[in-house]
Amino acid sequence: MNVTTTRKDLMIVNMGPHHPSMHGVLRLILTLDGEDVIDCEPILGYLHRGMEKIAENRTVIQYLPYVTRWDYLATMFTEAITVNGPEQLGNIQVPKRASYIRVIMLELSRIASHLLWLGPFMADIGAQTPFFYIFRERELVYDLFEAATGMRMMHNYFRIGGVAADLPHGWIDKCLDFCDYFLTAVSEYQKLITRNPIFLERVEGVGIIGGEEAINWGLSGPMLRASGIQWDLRKVDHYECYDELDWEIQWQKEGDSLARYLVRIGEMTESIKIIQQALEGIPGGPYENLEIRSFDREKDPEWNDFEYRFISKKPSPTFELPKQELYVRVEAPKGELGIFLIGDQSGFPWRWKIRPPGFINLQILPQLVKRMKLADIMTILGSIDIIMGEVDR
Amino acid sequence: MERSEHGNRSDTNTDYPFQLLCFLKLHTYTRVQVSIDICGVDHPSRKRRFEVVYNLLTTRYNSRIRVQTSADEVTRISSVVSLFPSAGRWEREVWDMFGVSSINHPDLRRISTDYGFEGHPLRKDLPLSGYVEVRYDDPEKRVVSEPIEMTQEFRYFDFASPWEQRSDG
Repeated sequence: MNVTTTRKDLMIVNMGPHHPSMHGVLRLILTLDGEDVIDCEPILGYLHRGMEKIAENRTVIQYLPYVTRWDYLATMFTEAITVNGPEQLGNIQVPKRASYIRVIMLELSRIASHLLWLGPFMADIGAQTPFFYIFRERELVYDLFEAATGMRMMHNYFRIGGVAADLPHGWIDKCLDFCDYFLTAVSEYQKLITRNPIFLERVEGVGIIGGEEAINWGLSGPMLRASGIQWDLRKVDHYECYDELDWEIQWQKEGDSLARYLVRIGEMTESIKIIQQALEGIPGGPYENLEIRSFDREKDPEWNDFEYRFISKKPSPTFELPKQELYVRVEAPKGELGIFLIGDQSGFPWRWKIRPPGFINLQILPQLVKRMKLADIMTILGSIDIIMGEVDR
Repeated sequence: MERSEHGNRSDTNTDYPFQLLCFLKLHTYTRVQVSIDICGVDHPSRKRRFEVVYNLLTTRYNSRIRVQTSADEVTRISSVVSLFPSAGRWEREVWDMFGVSSINHPDLRRISTDYGFEGHPLRKDLPLSGYVEVRYDDPEKRVVSEPIEMTQEFRYFDFASPWEQRSDG
């Protein structure tokens, strides 16, 4: 009896849009030969909500609640970029205190995003415990956000020229307490995960991307830094007040999933450092640009004697975007988030193109899984750190 | 080539995007290796109504450049996928959203819209609410598309404001 027969036909499996990991609605059509992956094709579009078309019909201040729905785990970044665009177009200066508050919020959001990357990443690999631990820390971040902005997740906090409201009394002390606590939590994760032999077996050497290849594919964020390229937009672009704070770029050389994990853990620790420095150095002063709005120039100059004209304080709801084009970007936790903005001399933008980091980072997936086993797909997909809200927009 | 005031970006209008991008990518002093974004813009009032914008980055010199090409509904743009692999999905999206197709693209099909969607959403003539709506139809036990039924009139926000719009340009 001859039992060994070569299986010649490949199996096509659909890892359907719904699946229990937190990536969202991503459909993968896998071609398998036994347990080896021959090819993988991601199909997107299940969460496409027409964000770009909606933006053409909303003023900036009306559009702010929409933007947090792109990357719903790192919401401050999407808001930051939505206001940075009009600010740069209109040459609006952000007051110092608002800049510091923004940096603190952005770094807290980065920590929150990396935490919620870590949990499902470990859960996909098989370790259920970190999933609960990260929510414990993320709840603390949510509490801080709720105290400052009023909402746990979808804050609608950033405004053109600053932030919406000042930090409440005592927030800074609470945030410092959080930073001290979080450092112990990160060391707990390190003890639990980083030298765990099962984890290392699953993750080391899986999904290696070289440095040149990473640049060619247009990757950004931790994926690029894990492959040896020290490229961080916070250092390169000198935006907000990152230059006044003392921190380093986290990077690794190997380019496998373990390197990406280490980069993100390192980034969490660096973010705490940034937050602590910003909290201690936060200046007083206005939190929102107070002069952005003024009455129409009146024809009667007698009333010029005192500055009663400049009494209104916030940017106009119909802030007019000048007729210019601009590409503005931030270093989101997942990569380079960018907006290509074309203004038309009216309240509505003419074109609002969102450049999501996940969209580009996901392109490399079919190439990475080519010679891997079926179980490695989830490791690689998890280490890329995508979120379908921004990939599909 | 114009220099705009927002940082060191330049714009160029050209009919030969592939050659220009090839030059930009390979020449020693430009070394643009990253295609950040390929985006389409619709200006219905122009004769060549679409504009395809390539946002590029060079990590070696830390500078960005923007290359723009115009096309109309039937012009096909040469694909830059062989230069920048990440352009594959962007060009699919430009096709899906605007209808500007690319020659030599390995895989040109829709990416974000629904499976049977007709039309190109980001063109200015497609209204914001679209033409069809989908709902789950219980007798047929599947999702059906039907012409849209608007229960509320489309709200167009047009503000005339006494506040002076401050924009330094």
